[in-house]
Amino acid sequence: MLLSQGSMGWKLKSSLYVITGAIAAFLALPIFFIVALSFGSSRWLVFPPPKWTLKWYEKFFENPQWIDSAMTSLQVALLTSVIATLIALPASFALVRGKFKGRDYLYSLFTLPMIVPVVIIAVAVYGVFLNLGLTGTLFAFVVSHVIVALPFAVISIINSLRLFDKSIEDAAVICGAHRLQAIFKVTFPSIKPGIFAGALFAFLVSWDEVVISVMMASPELQTLPVKMWSTLRQDLTPVIAVASTLLIFLSLIIMVMAGLARRYSNR
Amino acid sequence: MSLQTNNGTSSHSPLVCLQSLNKEYGNFTAVDHINLNIQKGEFLTFLGSSGSGKSTTLSMIAGFETPTSGEILLNEHSLIQIPSHKRGIGMVFQHYSLFPHMNVRDNIGFPLDIRKIPKAERDKKVDDILKLVQLETFADRRPSMLSGGQKQRVAIARALVYEPDILLMDEPLGALDKKLREDLQDELRLLHKRLGITIIYVTHDQDEAMRLSERIAIFKEGKIVGLGTGKDLYRKPPNAFVASFLGSSNFLKVKVSGPNSATFEGQTIQLDSEHDVPFNQQALLMIRPENLQVLSEDQATQSPIQTDENEAFGTVNESVFLGESLTCSITTADGSLVTSKSIATDLPEIEPGAKVRLRWKVQHSSVYSKWERSDIEKDAS
Ligand SMILES: Nc1ncnc2c1ncn2[C@@H]1O[C@H](COP(=O)(O)OP(=O)(O)OP(=O)(O)O)[C@@H](O)[C@H]1O
Ligand SMILES: [Mg+2]
Repeated sequence: MLLSQGSMGWKLKSSLYVITGAIAAFLALPIFFIVALSFGSSRWLVFPPPKWTLKWYEKFFENPQWIDSAMTSLQVALLTSVIATLIALPASFALVRGKFKGRDYLYSLFTLPMIVPVVIIAVAVYGVFLNLGLTGTLFAFVVSHVIVALPFAVISIINSLRLFDKSIEDAAVICGAHRLQAIFKVTFPSIKPGIFAGALFAFLVSWDEVVISVMMASPELQTLPVKMWSTLRQDLTPVIAVASTLLIFLSLIIMVMAGLARRYSNR
Repeated sequence: MSLQTNNGTSSHSPLVCLQSLNKEYGNFTAVDHINLNIQKGEFLTFLGSSGSGKSTTLSMIAGFETPTSGEILLNEHSLIQIPSHKRGIGMVFQHYSLFPHMNVRDNIGFPLDIRKIPKAERDKKVDDILKLVQLETFADRRPSMLSGGQKQRVAIARALVYEPDILLMDEPLGALDKKLREDLQDELRLLHKRLGITIIYVTHDQDEAMRLSERIAIFKEGKIVGLGTGKDLYRKPPNAFVASFLGSSNFLKVKVSGPNSATFEGQTIQLDSEHDVPFNQQALLMIRPENLQVLSEDQATQSPIQTDENEAFGTVNESVFLGESLTCSITTADGSLVTSKSIATDLPEIEPGAKVRLRWKVQHSSVYSKWERSDIEKDAS
């Protein structure tokens, strides 16, 4: 390792710590502020909060609109996660094991939604669903979220499938298992952590997706980030900080789970 | 023990028959029209350097690769159209390939579970084979909790538990260290003797091939260039490649001067009668270092040359004492470099620069009419 700590002078070492700390703070501070504000008593989001209170949380949980949008978000994210994973699984097998022309192009195609600006995807998907008269439906939310979540599921599953020693599956086959049987009984259990991580990432992508969701939403059906967005435009209330905190909280849990799954799979 | 020993079948048709088996990747030929018969109960090893097509041949027998052309017969039935899982073949892979999420018992029971063997019978078979590979105490461990040698024993047990017609092993000991490898080689040889199973074994370690197998097939660039017992291949290599590939060898360029004579550096020498080199052609004479006797001038005058011996003259470059043997590097009169290896009990007086006589028995030499530069350059050290 070029950057081994032992070989550095104390000056270099301490400045490195300072810089790292500064960057970490820069990344984490907004989250810290939002969480603090959600517990602050000031209606006008004064910082530091003059007093601590849970009243904004009460407001949040009293308002059926917030609860509905949170439940919608959860529903969309769960469906997106399941569907993206179900599509990603066979796709990953084809992309890793398949021997056909244009395999690498197909791989690029699968990861394209990660590179193309979301606005462009949003506009395109909006156009399609508007024509079909399907905007504002759960179906539209899930389909459009699957598009942007799929690359994350595919990449995670492909990585674990590449690390998986195929001769283990071959061993099951020569032992008498049909190829599909071998995949279900041996390969899937072995790459389970990768599949799980992929599903979690897909969930996360959907959970905090806002650009596409704003276009798909109707007054009756909207996800939490959309509700936050529309509320924000009318009225800057600390309830938004509450919604953000909850959003972050769930994301954090999912990240930790994904991290654990990943660590488990790398053993 | 539920595994039957092979009490010598009366039929003489081979168990496995490879006929003009060919595999091409694009325009690269990985396996080049191989013909090979494997008898029931035989331990046959594919030996060859990296990329010579050993694994590809094995994969075609297992059914993981489809031959480009040719035929594979098992008990006189073609395997080509039969998928891997129905071939009834056992296989052990280099990296154990155990199922990581199952314990040892379930790994070994897997082939029986797939075959829906009743539980009582399944458990009995698993227990029997656990005993055979001495892993009873590890039955409930996951593979990640086993040493390399234990893992490979589990893999062998898993491949044997359903009593396959034939066991394929692709460098099964390649990932283990030397000591463990030798222990497992002995175990494997005993296992083969005891069970009488047919084994096709792949390795690029010639000691391992010699130690284990009844017959060795030597692979070179997708072809089998030598086939026979280790002893025959070593003593009478069919060609210069096999001679230089197996063990070490000296090559001398001679000119054929009669049905069993040739000239080497102006001297007439006798050839073994089994050769097909036309008169007056250049040929390659191969002598193993341990068959080359080195004598000082004094010794040579005291012990006259025998009728079945040849003699050449040389000068010692260097002699190295290796405990049980003495290795000499010698330059012949016309400048060919040869090596001799003698058991170091009665050491001749050979200091560097000493004039010596080289003697070898006619039957200890082999003659080749064709060879490639690469065949003879590999060795000479
Ligand atoms: N899927 C493939 N596509 C293209 N070439 C291949 C493929 N599989 C094997 N080959 C080539 O075929 C040749 C034979 O390979 P094979 O694995 O049979 O060699 P081997 O004798 O087992 O060597 P090793 O001792 O290194 O395992 C090699 O040159 C290899 O590069
Ligand atoms: Mg190989």
